This record gives sequence, structure tokens and C-alpha cells, in this order.
Amino acid sequence: MKKLLIFLLLIPLAFAASWQTIAFVSMVLSAALLGIMFMLGFGFGVKELEIMAKEEFFQLLAVAILIVVLTGTDSILNSISSLDAVKAGSSSMQDAALTIVDDNRERVDTLLGYIAGYDKAISREASRTSQCNIVGMGYTVSGCGGYSVLAAPLSMAGGITGFAMGELSAMERLIELSDAYALNLLLPLGILLRTFKITRGGGGFLIALGISLHIMLPAGIIFNEMLVETFHTSGDPRAADYSETGGDVEIPECDPGDTGEDNENSAVTAYTRMRESIRDHLSVILFRATLGPVLALLLMTASIRTLTSLAGAEVDVSAISRFV
Amino acid sequence: MADAVICTEAFGSFFNDTILPLTGLGAIVTGVLIGLAFMVGRAIANAKLTTWAKTELLQVIISIATIFFLLTMVNAFCIINMGEVASFFEAVEDPHDLSLYDAAQTYLHEAALYSHNAMTVVRYHLEAYTILAYLNAFLCDFNVGGVGLGCWFGYSGENVQPVGGYGAINAALNIFFNSSIIAHLSALNFLFILLFVYKGFVFLFLPMGIFLRSMPYLRRFGALLIAVALSFLIVYPLMLSIFYLMGDVLVDRPGGGQCLACASPCADCYVPEDGLKEYLDETVFPDLENTGVIQSMGSVLLESISFGTQDTDALIREMYFPDGADTGGAIMFAAYAFIAAVFLPTTALLATIASISYIARLYGEEINLSRITQLV
Repeated sequence: MKKLLIFLLLIPLAFAASWQTIAFVSMVLSAALLGIMFMLGFGFGVKELEIMAKEEFFQLLAVAILIVVLTGTDSILNSISSLDAVKAGSSSMQDAALTIVDDNRERVDTLLGYIAGYDKAISREASRTSQCNIVGMGYTVSGCGGYSVLAAPLSMAGGITGFAMGELSAMERLIELSDAYALNLLLPLGILLRTFKITRGGGGFLIALGISLHIMLPAGIIFNEMLVETFHTSGDPRAADYSETGGDVEIPECDPGDTGEDNENSAVTAYTRMRESIRDHLSVILFRATLGPVLALLLMTASIRTLTSLAGAEVDVSAISRFV
Repeated sequence: MADAVICTEAFGSFFNDTILPLTGLGAIVTGVLIGLAFMVGRAIANAKLTTWAKTELLQVIISIATIFFLLTMVNAFCIINMGEVASFFEAVEDPHDLSLYDAAQTYLHEAALYSHNAMTVVRYHLEAYTILAYLNAFLCDFNVGGVGLGCWFGYSGENVQPVGGYGAINAALNIFFNSSIIAHLSALNFLFILLFVYKGFVFLFLPMGIFLRSMPYLRRFGALLIAVALSFLIVYPLMLSIFYLMGDVLVDRPGGGQCLACASPCADCYVPEDGLKEYLDETVFPDLENTGVIQSMGSVLLESISFGTQDTDALIREMYFPDGADTGGAIMFAAYAFIAAVFLPTTALLATIASISYIARLYGEEINLSRITQLV
């Protein structure tokens, strides 16, 4: 295979560095193969082969236009992404998106730590019972039962927070893939495969996957981040309720032998403190960690569907959307 | 035949002894039927019948040409070295010398192993937290130097679950335990589809396809069979082999590669247990195998006899996570496994299904597979 490519004067491909170079060389390879096909058709007088080569050449031109548009769009979006207003210090969209996802995951991890801490403290208090038993006689008092009502919401909060963390981790992995392979592997291979009729569907899909991973996925995350930041800096009084600054809170201790109101009041205090702390993080969980990945994934799948349709073989990726 | 997989000598004999004769037979029977139809058409001077026969003869030639094309592609895929393909792309590191078909299979092996590792890590965390959550302690009153005087003459003290609060963490981990099970089963499912293709059953569609494409009212079905064979032998492995090239990131491929098929000990392969050491320590109950669960638990409890007054995190660190619990890491691992074993293989299958429609359209028949896509 390698020898064949060298024969086709594609030595630079082995040393290609940027995705533009690889894409260009892939297109040259495709054009060379089409040229051979046309020559064979012309030489042997096979009109069908000539027509097919011409038709495929138009397809190649369409891909070339797509690459030019992609290069322009990529540059513009990279410029926007590296603006201080979006993410200071980022060199590209992927870099900005990865920083955003990492920041958000750290926030969610902190919140999961808080929730786990509340759960440990509350469950310990809820499990406490006092006993006294001498010579077969005695009593057992369960004065801390009021705390046990908090276990169900805490469990739900843990589930939602863990899920948010998983979503962000999955997004992180997709952006890492995009950064490493979208334009350096998927796009050039897609261009190459799209040249041949039989692999046009697969090639078109790889092109669509590469472009969508490279642009739409990080764009979705960045746009969502801009949306959340705009809300927080809007001066809207409701933004203060979701300040994202909530910290750990102290869970009051329970006296298992006390059957009066003190323990109930302590449980209510624990609930109120915990609720306020968790509400502070709702913005992180709902907007940054849930809406962001959903938006990014939907943008990506919509883009794959549109681009595969443009590439000549629509791939119905609605099944992927159902992962959301 | 059971051991014959594509690109092997055994498969070559299966193909030569079974598939080729069947394909030839299909082509001959079709040709004979067309010839008869042509002769009858000429005999009764029915232009419609003779035109049909001529058209179908062309279709048979196209079908046979397709099969030769397919064979060429299969041979090429058996020869293409993914290590050499990878060397063209700077982004791809540490490629292995595998054919395209082997690379596709290896990727799914790795995805299955990766998701299994994720399942192991999440299971370990769940196990640890669940066991800890159910521990009970009775703290005797009037504690003097660790000895509760309240229990000397009776039973006075406080019953407590000192490390019982893991409902939230367990809820989070349960989601990802389910997710990693689905990821593992999904990887195996995609692997079985691939093995079904590699074992050659798809080739049986070819003789049927040649015959059916030329029969009245059955062209669409015949085209579908040929399109299925082409797509599953070309597009599906091709997609998976490209994902194989992305394995450094996708399945955190270590230098030696992960080989399920390799006999143990495997010099060049990744040992799963080594990669998981940062997450778990299965030697928590070292005497579990010899003495049973109850005794092992007893030894652990003896080691932490004062756990009722001990800090929960410290207890966990000592008992299950010597290097500190990494619940977030376990969740991330499961999320990564979902991408490697569900998300990307699903896209490969969707592209294959789309390719079936596209190839069938090339043969002049529109096939709507949108309902099938919904099943994915």
C-alpha cells in the first residue's frame, strides 16, 4: 500500500503535519485516481468510465469547497473562542472547550464531595439509637429518625450529580478525540474514501464526523458557557440564587436519647442548610453539566446528518441522539 | 469451519469449496432461466420476454462483476497493513502490524476489555461502599480509654452505623455500573456481528443475491442481499479499523496493546489488573478464598476495632482504598467506556446501514431502512 502511494508521488503525506496538508494530499490522490480512471475510459473508449470519472471529479470539487469553507470557519471560530470574553488563554476551540469541561467537572466533583459529606453525616445521625439494658430490662430510644427522611433526596442528588459528572467526562473524551483525530485522521480518510462510489457513504460519514466533532461539539459547549456566563453577569436578581459559591455546611448533631423537639429542629436545620448549599450549585448541574453536553451532542448529531446528506449518503444518526 | 475466520487458510478452503460453487451455481441457474426465457420469447415472438431476458443478462453480469469486486476488496483488506496506514498520520501513535480486518476485531476486543475494566472499577467501589454502609457499631456508654464501662454490667450505649452514609455515592455509582454493563454487552454485541461477518455467513447472501436480483418482483430483495454483503464486508470493518487507529485516546491503549486472544502470560499485551491498580485493591480480604467471607470480614473488623469513633474517610482509606477513594475517577472511567464501546461502534453500524441503502440505490433499487435504524 505504501509503495503504491509513493508511486503516486505522495511521499509528502508521510511527513504531513497539519490537517490542511493531509487533506490536500488526499485530494491530490483522489484526483490522480480519477485521472487514471478517465484515461482508461478514454483509452479503451468506455464512455461510462469517462462519465463516472467526470461525475466523481465534481464530487471532489464539492469536497474542496467544503474544505475551504471549513478552513475559514475554523479560523473564525478559533478567533472567537480565544477571546478573553469566552476563555482567556485558549489557543483553539478545542482547547477552550476542554478547559470549560474540566472546570465544570471540577465544580461537579466538589459538589459530589459535599453531597457525599452531607450523606455521611446525616446517615450517621439517622442511624443512632440509644439503648440501656440491665438484667433483661431496659429501653431503646430512636430519637434521630427525623434525619432519615433526608436519605432519599440525598440519594437522588447523588445520582443526578454523578450523571452530570459522567456526561462531562464523556464530552471530555469526545473533545480529546476531536483534538487528536478529527482533522488529522477522519477528514483525510473520509475525503479519500468518498472518492470511490462504493465507499462514498462511509467516506461522507467520516468527513461529517470529523467536521462535526471538530466544530459543532466544542462550539456547543462554548456557546452554552457563554449563555450561563451571560446569565450570571446580567445583574438579574435571580442569578444570586444560583451563585455557584455554596460551600460545605455543618450538619447539627443529634441526641439519640432525646425524644423532644430538639432533634426534629436539628433535622430541619440540616435540611435547610443542605438545600441552600445544593441550590447554589443548581446552575452548575443543570446548565453547565447537563444542558451543555446535551446541546453539544445534539448540535453534533444534527450536523452529522446534514453533512452526510450533503456528502451524498445520509446517515440517520437519530439513534445517537437518543443517548442524550 | 468453526475456526475459519476471514483471511485465514481455512477460510480460503471454505470459500473455495462452498461459496464459490454456490455462487457459480446461482449464476448458472439464473443464466439458464434467462436463456430459456429468451428462447421462449423468440419462439412465441414475444418482444417483452426477450427484452426482459436481455436486461436480466446484463444484471447478472453486473452481479458477477460486483462479486469479483468484493473479492478484490476482501483480499485487499486482508493485505492492507494498518501499521503502515497509521504511519501516514502524525496523530496516530504506536500502530501495530495488523490487517484491516484484524484491526477492526482488535478494536472491539479492546473496547470489550476496556468496558469490562470500567465495570470492575465501578463494581469495586460499589462493593466497598455497600459493605461499609451496612456495618453497625454499638458504642458503650462511659467510655474510658476506649473501654465502655456502660457494658460491664448490662447493655448501655448507642447503636450507630458509623459509615452508613453512602446512599448518594451508591446512587451515582449504580447508574454507571449499569452503563458499564451496557457498554460491555454492546461491545460484545458488535464483536459478534463482526465475527458473524468474518465467519463467512454474509458470503452466503451472494449466490442468493445473484439469483434473486434477476427474478421478477425480487430484484429489490436481491439487491438488498448484495448490498448487505458489500456493506458488512467493507464499510463496517473499515469504520472499526479507523477507530482502532484512534485507540491511544479511545481505550487508553498502553504501549503493549490489549490482547484478549493472547494466551497468558502474554509478553506484548496489557495485563488488565496492572492498569486497574490505581483504582482498586482486590487484596482487601486476603484470606477470603481460604476462610470465607465471614471470617475475612471479622479480620477486617478486628483491624479497625475502634471504627465507631474513627473518621469515615480514614476508615475507607485503610480498608478499601489505601491511596484514597477515587469515585470521580470510577465515574469517568465508565463514561469513557461508554464512548469507546457504545457511541463509536454504534456510529459504525449506522454508517453501515446507511451504506446498505446507498449501495442498493446504486443497483437501481430504493430501500428504506429507517425502521431498522431505529432499532440500533
